[in-house]
Amino acid sequence: MTRSTLCILGAAGLALCAGCGRRVASAAEGEPTVALGLGPDRPVANQPLGPLPGPGDIPPVPNPLGDDRTVLEEGRKLFVQYNCAGCHGGRAGGGMGPSLRDADWRYGGSPDRVFNSIAQGRGLGMPAWGARLPEKEIWEITAYVGALRTPREPEAPR
Amino acid sequence: MNRLACGLALAALADLLAGGCRKSEAGPMPDERVGSVAQVAGTRPGIRLASALPQGDWRLPNGDYASTRFSPLAQIKVANAANLHVVTTASTGVPHGHEGNPLVVDGTLYVVTPFPNNLIAIDLRQTGGAIKFIYEPHPDPRAVGIACCDVVNRGASYADGKIIYNLLDTTTVAVDARSGKEVWRRRLGNIDIGETVTMAAMVVKDKVLVGSSGGELGVRGWLAALDVKSGQELWRAYQTGPDKDVLIGPQFHAFYKKDQGPDLGASSWVGDQWKRGGGNIWGWISYDPQLNLIYYGTGNPGVWNPDLRPGDNKWSCAIIARDPDDGHAVWANQLVPHDHHDYDEIMENVLVDMDWGPRKLRKLLLHPGRTGFMYVLDRETGELLSAEKFEASTNWARGYDLKTGLPLEEKSKQTGSGRIVEDICPSSTGGKEFIPSAFSPRTGLLYIPAHNTCMSYEGLPANYIAGTPYLGADVRMHPGPGGYQGELVAWDPARARKVWGLREEKLPVYSGILATAGDLLFYGTMDGHFRAVDARTGSPLYDFHAGSGIVGNPMTYLGPDGKQYVAIYAGVGGWMGAVASPDVSADDPYAGLGVVGAMKQIKQLTGLGDTLYVFGL
Repeated sequence: MTRSTLCILGAAGLALCAGCGRRVASAAEGEPTVALGLGPDRPVANQPLGPLPGPGDIPPVPNPLGDDRTVLEEGRKLFVQYNCAGCHGGRAGGGMGPSLRDADWRYGGSPDRVFNSIAQGRGLGMPAWGARLPEKEIWEITAYVGALRTPREPEAPR
Repeated sequence: MNRLACGLALAALADLLAGGCRKSEAGPMPDERVGSVAQVAGTRPGIRLASALPQGDWRLPNGDYASTRFSPLAQIKVANAANLHVVTTASTGVPHGHEGNPLVVDGTLYVVTPFPNNLIAIDLRQTGGAIKFIYEPHPDPRAVGIACCDVVNRGASYADGKIIYNLLDTTTVAVDARSGKEVWRRRLGNIDIGETVTMAAMVVKDKVLVGSSGGELGVRGWLAALDVKSGQELWRAYQTGPDKDVLIGPQFHAFYKKDQGPDLGASSWVGDQWKRGGGNIWGWISYDPQLNLIYYGTGNPGVWNPDLRPGDNKWSCAIIARDPDDGHAVWANQLVPHDHHDYDEIMENVLVDMDWGPRKLRKLLLHPGRTGFMYVLDRETGELLSAEKFEASTNWARGYDLKTGLPLEEKSKQTGSGRIVEDICPSSTGGKEFIPSAFSPRTGLLYIPAHNTCMSYEGLPANYIAGTPYLGADVRMHPGPGGYQGELVAWDPARARKVWGLREEKLPVYSGILATAGDLLFYGTMDGHFRAVDARTGSPLYDFHAGSGIVGNPMTYLGPDGKQYVAIYAGVGGWMGAVASPDVSADDPYAGLGVVGAMKQIKQLTGLGDTLYVFGL
């Protein structure tokens, strides 16, 4: 995603981003999620522009399902059931895909960004699960990922 | 990403050329010597080589057709091995597992990198080791995410003026060895259903043999033969399914009853599970020019959890002999029916003729198994002649019944749904991995890079979702009993016993072995030590600490100056070695299909690397 076309897909990654800079309805709870737009300063030839916002400048959107124990446990169950564990490790420590337990997030670690990575897929082999999974389940998996390495992690490694 | 913009940091090659240029003793292609295999001076009585050995060059993945990894070169020997030193290094710019080994053909050294699978040609005749060319094939980057065990490549073959190798995205390429121009490329599989290719392409006669990877994604294994001139596919044999797909016909004669009957590749499964049944071919292929047969092993059955796939699951975990001309199967022997432990049997098959009981110079196939058993088969019939544990901790089976060819399994170590089975030895990574052994006709010993790693295993439900892992297992590995995790085992196949072993305390031995007529063994360790040891006694003679762990295979060649060199990659990675990567967390012992439990200490012992080292006197 280039920095000038940042948008948050709040609706299962199904390309519902109708236009960057607008408020996009989240299909989860009807909560609006804010996408940062370009504003009035559009690029003009031979005119300096900037600084441009980076991904971290967008306020994170919380998980609409919260992080109740039932949500986390459901997320853990789905993480195994949908074979996430096969790629990202039995307790998400990595393998075919990168670890989700460490501090590094290639595409952002906030709930909305994790949601988008699951829903849209990523370039080096992450499938676009938004095409197959209900949005609720993606948020549940997102909640589980967010709980890794915290005291709330279900089935934490012994 | 991963562009090879980084320069090849070649250190001084000047001394390599100090002796003046002289044409390398390339020798004829092995094909030209069929029927008159030169035997090595000092060969023990009762031993005969099955194919020609590499002379000055190294043109096949394991050097020769018979996969002995033995070189007749003897300039470097026990008396002078202590004088070895690094003569040159080169960076590939790809910090992933560097498995396999370079080739050397007519004064040029060829390196195939891990993904993006570039081919780097280094001119050994020029001072400074000039790069002749870098060929960039640009494979599909989506293949990275479906490669089970790092984005490795196990090497190339040279034939018909071309360097021929496989890309991770299932494309095979042939590159003109002199110009670096692509001659042909052929896509053989589909990454969207999890197919990748990591094995070294093997050229036999006029055919390029390529097998699939993807046993962790329910890929139905196949072996394809391509025309060396054009890349056109000539035949393809699947490893599961009805006989017509497996290329089993009237010429097929399995030795054991367990392997006899029509369409076992389908009927030994429930329903159409064979379509997701694994049996991939990502290891090595051997060839016997006299019998005109190729030999290879097949990988684990699809979905790991055995309760989800009742039946013998043929032809997973089997050794298969085929005629390379049209691919028809001649015999098969499934070493492990209904695998419980992910024991791929894709290991090397070392072909050698040896006295066996009253039989003189019997045509044998030596197969050190992932199961922890050292198998000896009659390679004309597939009969199992011997199966003994080469690592004592092996406990999934007590032994083999040579009359039925079946393992005597320990029921308490069989895995399944709803239970955690503890302390299974070896772990899924095996009593050894794909990393190839070496055989010396001068000592009569097979040198096995062994592991002493065990595991706990819990069977889970699994969904088949194309292009994602198909496992149904929660695996956690740990070092085996005895306070060591790796061992170089010198094994006497004739007496079915270990002669000596060199133990590695912390990590498995994950490097191939090279044996030479100088009575030396060369190998590397996962913490980066490159070693030369005495092939007869195991006495250490030389040790160099490389910049990264070694998971590649040493090879040897004569340089244009007529001197012997030994080359090896140092770039840790692969299934177990990838734990060194920052993309794998040490606090999840179940990560990396369970290897982190046994390997997390590697993060303190070495780091990622990408370097070719060349040693000389």
